[in-house]
Amino acid sequence: MTKTPTNWTLRDDAMVEQMIRRGASRRDLLKMLMSSGIAASVGGSLLLRADAAVASTPVTGGTLKAAGWSSSTADTLDPAKASLSTDYVRCCAFYNRLTFLDEAGQVQMELAESVSSDDAQTWEVKLKSGVTFHDGKTLAAEDVVFSLKRHLDEAVGSKVNSIAKQMTEISKVDDLTVKIVLAAPNADLPTILALHHFMILADGTSDFSTANGTGAFICEAFEPGVRSIAVKNPNYFKGQGAYLDSFEFFGIPDNNARVNALLSGDIQYAASVNPRSSRLLDGNDSVATLVSTSGNYTNLNIRKDLNPGQAEGFIEGMKYLLNREAIQKSAFRGFAEIANDQPVSPANRYHNPNVKPRDFDPERAKSLFDKAGLLGVEIPVVASDAATASVDMATILQQSGSEIGMNLKVDRVPSDGYWSNYWLKAPVHFGNINPRPTPDILFSLLYSSDAPWNESQYKSEKFDSLLVEARGALDEERRTAIYWEMQEMVANEAGTAIPVYISNMDAFSAKLGGLKPNPLGGMMGYAFAEYVWLNA
Amino acid sequence: MSPSLLPWFLVVQRLGIALLTLVIVSFAVFFATELLPGDVAEILLGQAATPEAVAGLRAAMGLDEPALSRFVGWLVGLAQGDLGTSYVNNMEVVELIAGRLGNSLRLAGVTTLLSVPVALSLGIGAAMYRGSLFDRMVSVLTISVISVPEFMVATLAVLIFAVWLDWLPALSYGADVSSIGAMLKAYAMPVITLSCVISAQMIRMTRAAVIETLNTPYVEMALLKGASRRRMVLIHALPNALGPIANAVALSVSYLVGGVIIVETIFNYPGVAKLMVDAVSTRDLPLIQSCAMIFCVSYLSLITLADLIAILSNPRLR
Amino acid sequence: MMADTPSSTTPKGTTRDRTAPKGPGWRFNWVGRIGLVIILFWGLVALVGPAFAPYPPGEIVDWDYFGPVTGKFWMGTDYLGRDILSRILMGARYTVGIALAGVTLACSLGVILGMMAAVAGGWFDMILSRLLDAFNGIPSLLFGLVVVAAVGSSIPVLVLTLAAIYMPGSYRFARALAVNVNTMDFVTVARARGESTPYLILREILPNILGPVLADLGLRFVFIVLVLSGLSFLGLGVQPPNADWGALVRENIEGLSLGAPAVIFPSIAIASLTISVNMFIDNLPSKIRDRSE
Repeated sequence: MTKTPTNWTLRDDAMVEQMIRRGASRRDLLKMLMSSGIAASVGGSLLLRADAAVASTPVTGGTLKAAGWSSSTADTLDPAKASLSTDYVRCCAFYNRLTFLDEAGQVQMELAESVSSDDAQTWEVKLKSGVTFHDGKTLAAEDVVFSLKRHLDEAVGSKVNSIAKQMTEISKVDDLTVKIVLAAPNADLPTILALHHFMILADGTSDFSTANGTGAFICEAFEPGVRSIAVKNPNYFKGQGAYLDSFEFFGIPDNNARVNALLSGDIQYAASVNPRSSRLLDGNDSVATLVSTSGNYTNLNIRKDLNPGQAEGFIEGMKYLLNREAIQKSAFRGFAEIANDQPVSPANRYHNPNVKPRDFDPERAKSLFDKAGLLGVEIPVVASDAATASVDMATILQQSGSEIGMNLKVDRVPSDGYWSNYWLKAPVHFGNINPRPTPDILFSLLYSSDAPWNESQYKSEKFDSLLVEARGALDEERRTAIYWEMQEMVANEAGTAIPVYISNMDAFSAKLGGLKPNPLGGMMGYAFAEYVWLNA
Repeated sequence: MSPSLLPWFLVVQRLGIALLTLVIVSFAVFFATELLPGDVAEILLGQAATPEAVAGLRAAMGLDEPALSRFVGWLVGLAQGDLGTSYVNNMEVVELIAGRLGNSLRLAGVTTLLSVPVALSLGIGAAMYRGSLFDRMVSVLTISVISVPEFMVATLAVLIFAVWLDWLPALSYGADVSSIGAMLKAYAMPVITLSCVISAQMIRMTRAAVIETLNTPYVEMALLKGASRRRMVLIHALPNALGPIANAVALSVSYLVGGVIIVETIFNYPGVAKLMVDAVSTRDLPLIQSCAMIFCVSYLSLITLADLIAILSNPRLR
Repeated sequence: MMADTPSSTTPKGTTRDRTAPKGPGWRFNWVGRIGLVIILFWGLVALVGPAFAPYPPGEIVDWDYFGPVTGKFWMGTDYLGRDILSRILMGARYTVGIALAGVTLACSLGVILGMMAAVAGGWFDMILSRLLDAFNGIPSLLFGLVVVAAVGSSIPVLVLTLAAIYMPGSYRFARALAVNVNTMDFVTVARARGESTPYLILREILPNILGPVLADLGLRFVFIVLVLSGLSFLGLGVQPPNADWGALVRENIEGLSLGAPAVIFPSIAIASLTISVNMFIDNLPSKIRDRSE
């Protein structure tokens, strides 16, 4: 770190790296560095370092020990039930999807040779030939039909049941072709199939004490709540397969313990490290970080059908009372992007940059609350550790409120049972939404009138019809225009205040090569094990 | 009753009562779990819990049967030595618990072996030289150690010994345990952290109980007869203080089985405390019940042992 | 009953020596006095401290985090950039108040029941002891969650929960002590005199177990101060923006690696309070501790 300027942080390093990946030229970068007051000579050496991290030659062999942030007896190898990063990481190592998203957010084929349709309603999935499961069975259409149909069976308890429901017919055409018919046209199907839950299992699989997939790793041991051990699949269908010989994964829920284990060399990868640890990682040459902004957010939900959300002006007032800059800088230490109250993040190609985030304007909020007759009335705001940083956000909001005579009372409730007892239910509460790859999924899950997680009980017929129209639109321009309009509607009309999109920071040994950010989430969209290598 | 038979009678009587206590605890845990909002189907589906999905999953898991009858079924199974099947991952509870209980007992055993003798000697020593510099040092040190939160002791230990000095592994489980030396290294930090937590109570209670007995008339008599201080404490005072001391030790040691969640979390050591937390957060009744039974059995056996020691050590209670 | 402790050669001499003006054993040594002064100091802070807090406890006063000690922020800033001094002053009320109320309730109830069980013996002792064993058999995590689910969260509920969790241990220890005293000759004599149970408990048993019972109380006080922050994770604790001292340590624990004042000062506050409570108890005037009459 001797060659770097003193106020240069790892965060800046990560930013430079990301810009290089996004295709920024050396000149752009130098311009940026100059504008932030860093001498060109120093800037040059920083660029060298960033270049080195991106481009290095893969090495085969070695064992990777990685730690996620959650692990419990509910850990599962059943992709339909997968609910936490821990499950996604394991599923990505042992199974494959038909398609996946690359770092640019573009759909790439994995087990599928092609996914095509003329009308966005009847789809044909052609499979790659010669792909084998770990038990030796060859991948065929039956496996795909079985894997997709499982999500429709309520007894399976699939997390994507509501998304899968639009597939009204899933049938085998020949050994390597599957036909999927949708209830209504949806041009996003190839992206939907890239969701982690749509991993392909062997036909008839019902035992998930181990994993029989087509993935780059074979499951050697799996103990829920303890760990999993994966070894390289020698017959992997993608060329030479994984670089690593084996890969051990477990959860260390305590952030400090995770970072310390990385610093002491007990593990080589610590997922989702608290931004506050960045100061500790700065200046340590043996670790590096990967920052990905994928659209995860914690939002303030005000139900429009209950008091105080029914009162005219209250929701708008709360949106003005939310100090987005304080949340971005203090709660996330800059590892977040200020958001504009709608769920489609800048990582998504349909993001509407014209919807500006509301300014922090307590005076305006005060007059709105005054008009609503709510100034001084005690209003409980339900927050919990279950929703990332919501307690901090609530505290910031409460403080801003107390300065204008608004009596917000933070009600911190247990994580235990938060999603079934408080989320969607309390009049004013916090939620946390994981990134989804398409606006269609976000809007149909969260904002259409019949959405299962309509957090603010937002109902708009116009919005519903726009949603259906965009779903079937194959014309990219028209689709974009509709999605832009919908983002504006959500930002102005719904009762959900989305202050920031949260970035995820993973920390890992500097020996680890091959990592790139991915729009599906941290750890390269949880699929990093297959792509990384350990330098000696 | 002849004095030699008395302990056996007591043991049998207490065993019967312990069994009854277990059943009562089991019912209490069952009703407590039922009182908690949400059931396993809702928790498993998490944010995806729509009413239809929950109903479907409940039916598939056999949860539509009344809770009480499922619980009674579990109790009947338990009586036959069957702990049942976890709702959450369909594994046998025995299978889930076995390895982790071994881990927990190993950690508890090593910690007990290390901390009980040390704590008792320090406590007795402090009582023997009451008011001396040694006594004051022990007092201030024990209170200082216990005043630091457990998570801070553990984190600090990792920071110093694993990160800065690089002497010990930061994680205990999955660390290299191929040789005795490596195993000692892996266990050093959790054991020391736990010893810090439980020793203070034993030291302080031992000291207080011994001093109290030193004040009783017959110890005064011994003193007047010219017994040495050391002899007086070890021969006269200690046996009479054994009851309260045994109770303090039992209470401290019982913490080692179910209460070590912080140490298990920070050192990534899979034991039964984390298992219980997982079970409660997923409302996995068979697993909750099984863990609760394990904690309860260990607690009851420890305090029963303490009560027996109390009775046997005091001639007037026999 | 015995007069001044002739427990060992030295104390015997000294206790006699310091009898002079105020009667035997009322003298209070300097260690105990320091303890008392610190306790009174924190008591005072709990009462009037918030009035002296330079900033509101929830206000972000600095964009930086884990800030150092400066003229503006005497104890640095926390993980969000809030003033630690203000938060400690605010937290004193919760830590001192709740811990004191909780420990008093737990120990007085536990000790009284323990002595009653020892004196009464028989079925009363048996049933009470086993019931409390059974209660102790319920994992406290489950108990805490049930309390939140059933009655919600408030400060009185928090105090009662703490008392309920710590009472059985106090009971068990007091009973073990009282059982021993109960077999002593002077108790037998008093009982033969026809003294009532309350008399036996208060005049004969309690004075003879007071030392260890107070030592136990001191320890339980420490436990309660520390467990408070854990309960706030169950939604049972102090609600933000306020926080007890344990919670201050917990929420700033990431600053430990950085040597942040935000984690050090709350730890010092906790340690100074808990150590002085125990120092005070250890050095109470022998008149009280050794219950000479």
